[in-house]
Amino acid sequence: MSADTLTPVRPGGPRRGRRGRGSTRRVLSSPLGVVVLVATLWFAAAFLVLPNVTLLQATFAPDGRLSLSAFERLLSSERALRSLGHSVLLAATLAVTVNVVGVFIVLVTGWFRVRARRVLWLGYATTFVYGGIVLAAGYSFIYGRYGFVTNALARWYPDLDRDWFSGFVAVVLVMTFATTTNHMLFLSAALAGIDAQSVEAARLMGASPTTVLRRVVLPSLRPMIFAVTVLTFLTGLGALTAPLVLGGRDFQTVAPMILTFARSESSRDVAALLAILLGLATIVLLALMNRVERGGTYFAVAKVATPIAPQPFRTRWGSVLVQVLAWALWVVYVVPVLCAVVFSFVDPRAVMAGSIGLGDLTVEHWVTVLTDAGALAPFVVSVVYSGLASVVVVLAMVLVARLLSRWRSWMASALEYVLHLPWILPTILIALGLVMTFDRPRLLAAQQVLTGTVVLLGVAYVVVKIPFTLRLLKAAFAAVPDEVEDAARILGAGQLTTVRRVVVPVIAPTMAAVAALNFTSLLDDYDAAVFLYHPLFEPLGIAIKQSTEGESAVQSMGTTFVYTVLLMVVQGLVLWAVYRRRPTGTARG
Amino acid sequence: MIRFDALRVAYDDSVALHGLDLEVAEGEFFTLLGPSGCGKTTALRALAGFVQPTSGRVHVDGRDVTDVPSERRGVGMVFQSYALFPSMTVAENIAFGLSVQRVAKAEQRERVDRVADQVGLRPEQLRRGVAELSGGQQQRVAIARALVLRPRILLLDEPLSNLDAKLRVQLRGELQRLQREVGITTVYVTHDQEEALALSDRIAVLSEGRLAQVGTPREVYEQPASAQVCDFVGEATRLTDAQRSVLAGLDGEEDVWVRPEHVRLAVDGGAAAVVRTLAYRGPSTLVGLELAGDPLLAAVPSASAAGLSLGDPVAVGLDADRVHRFGAAR
Repeated sequence: MSADTLTPVRPGGPRRGRRGRGSTRRVLSSPLGVVVLVATLWFAAAFLVLPNVTLLQATFAPDGRLSLSAFERLLSSERALRSLGHSVLLAATLAVTVNVVGVFIVLVTGWFRVRARRVLWLGYATTFVYGGIVLAAGYSFIYGRYGFVTNALARWYPDLDRDWFSGFVAVVLVMTFATTTNHMLFLSAALAGIDAQSVEAARLMGASPTTVLRRVVLPSLRPMIFAVTVLTFLTGLGALTAPLVLGGRDFQTVAPMILTFARSESSRDVAALLAILLGLATIVLLALMNRVERGGTYFAVAKVATPIAPQPFRTRWGSVLVQVLAWALWVVYVVPVLCAVVFSFVDPRAVMAGSIGLGDLTVEHWVTVLTDAGALAPFVVSVVYSGLASVVVVLAMVLVARLLSRWRSWMASALEYVLHLPWILPTILIALGLVMTFDRPRLLAAQQVLTGTVVLLGVAYVVVKIPFTLRLLKAAFAAVPDEVEDAARILGAGQLTTVRRVVVPVIAPTMAAVAALNFTSLLDDYDAAVFLYHPLFEPLGIAIKQSTEGESAVQSMGTTFVYTVLLMVVQGLVLWAVYRRRPTGTARG
Repeated sequence: MIRFDALRVAYDDSVALHGLDLEVAEGEFFTLLGPSGCGKTTALRALAGFVQPTSGRVHVDGRDVTDVPSERRGVGMVFQSYALFPSMTVAENIAFGLSVQRVAKAEQRERVDRVADQVGLRPEQLRRGVAELSGGQQQRVAIARALVLRPRILLLDEPLSNLDAKLRVQLRGELQRLQREVGITTVYVTHDQEEALALSDRIAVLSEGRLAQVGTPREVYEQPASAQVCDFVGEATRLTDAQRSVLAGLDGEEDVWVRPEHVRLAVDGGAAAVVRTLAYRGPSTLVGLELAGDPLLAAVPSASAAGLSLGDPVAVGLDADRVHRFGAAR
């Protein structure tokens, strides 16, 4: 589950005025409305509801009769039970460690007056373009069994345990520095939203900087800290790639266990049960988060909030302590990225030997990836899947968002909630549901078997991106004032002309941004691909994961680092393009 | 020209208009005035065809347009937020309706140029994006866009409320001049009584979804039909029993209201009051008095108010024939 699918906001979005929404009859009177409605209902039934029903059925009624055998088998599997315990332990640990690091880097980049804040910010922001399977593989190549650092150390200490960087500590360390993205996104925004005048008021009343931080700033951030804590907890609970690559034999969590169990027909019910437990935990935690979020007013009440100014340190030792810690963390964040770039130009044998000289530099991997069709294939497969899925989901959700924003009925609300299902379900649960549902002909899929075809992964990508896309597009529609549409109408424009010439140009930047963000987040997907990929069309995530498996695969390390750099460049460019554009609003003087 | 017949608009949980009956004459500058939530915008939107009345009819030129779509009612509208299309230039905004009607490009250009000139937009401004214009210029674009289709009726929904005070007064004058020049029937919605009094040929005062009074600005101000109208349009004080007993000639059971300009201050020969507040307004000064334990407002020429200080005792008198008496409301 990526950060964007879990943005701490509720489904529903801003409401339009009552005159903007019509009855079911009005919606059904437009041919386009009927087509969109029927298509949406079919897609929701086939790919959102049916897979979950199948999963529940496989777990609780495998032979058509209610059975608790999956529970019994789960309880009798020591491995499965241990994985549950490990997941909770990982989630709880990350909730603490990620918050400590996350809050610190947010304060360093948004509160304290430190030198070169932008450089620090760029370093901490590397998690935006470097995460998931790519990051796990990167750490494995540096500190893992055959990693550069391990090999270098082994030259000095031949008795070194080559698996020194594996297990609980390794997973926690890697995930701590990899999952501060939510803090950088949401907590930074919340900090920036605090009214500087409230800080000044506290200072005038004699509060010290520490008191202001403790009594004014942190309490204002409390709901957001809670929200990102829940997100972090969920990330830990559903973690797949880090435990898979770095957990070793002794530290496996629920998600890798689901993967293992799902591979065998006989243990699929246990996999389904584990996935359902994961889904339930997610739903409960998100519901809890929503409740707390509604609890009170924490944000600036001033009509025009004054932006916060960096706060100077009062003591020299405080300044030194914070800056030393900040730069030490910066190194932790930046080194893996630098290594990826450097190693993409180095002979893997030198990395294996743990010593790199000038003579080991080569552009061979780049030449291979960019000229050999076979080496480039995973990248192309991922680009095609992500590109198609992002465009399809955006175009479809434009129509659905338009429909939902003009349709007032309990049916519209119900449909909207169903479309938000992927938001509360872990990706691996969705993928497993799809695999288990479409491994036989289904009426809703025109009696076709989809499991094992190239289609299903595309479907999964569309499914997981629906909530995020729908939410943002609905918000974009809501941001087009009713008056603008009324103005077009009174000037004689019909429904379609109004949408085409007035509404779409206004929401086009949002459409483009959402498509771009969807594209980059799907590019290095592993969680859905591992269940659904077609063996002849291996996506990037799978190729990268394979390069971490065993010593022989290390030969493909160079290629993986090239992929990594390419991914970072593409993701960096997309993020830059999305966030660089100036906000387009309605015309006001 | 325009007639509302027992127009009622109800929502799930509230009634915005309770059977409104109203007529607007051809070429008239007609204002719907009232506080927030009185139903004035609902009435305007029902006339535009954006709100479907629960019951009652809307007639334009003797034709029942209640079920006619907005675009075929021959109305142009200027919205409170101007509702300009942000993705289009000024010229494209103004020409939008013409292009929807597939008017030839040359004629579009010619009509856009003419209407832009009429509302005071310069040719070079036509090529700009609407977001690059100031509030006042955006308002001109909105008016030009509404007028370019040569509607029979122009609807203005609080079009000046987003502007600063000085620009508001300036554009108010221009709006009046333009309306006279074009001779278009105009329905104007505002909660600003000063704007309504200055602009309108006639005013309808609405209160809680009902028509409180229709009349010329002078009638509405000088002969308010109810205490609500008297209170909402201009300033007025409702006299308490104690105040009436110390002021001469105010017997009777009715509710008595007095406007500040009809309260006279004298050194002697009147009821005793004390100056509590002084608000200088240029030519006149609004004096807040305490009379018989309750407040009373008096407007006096600033020259005569110059000698007053807070706490000064003064004698108060008023013209009994200039007070407003309404029913036996007490």
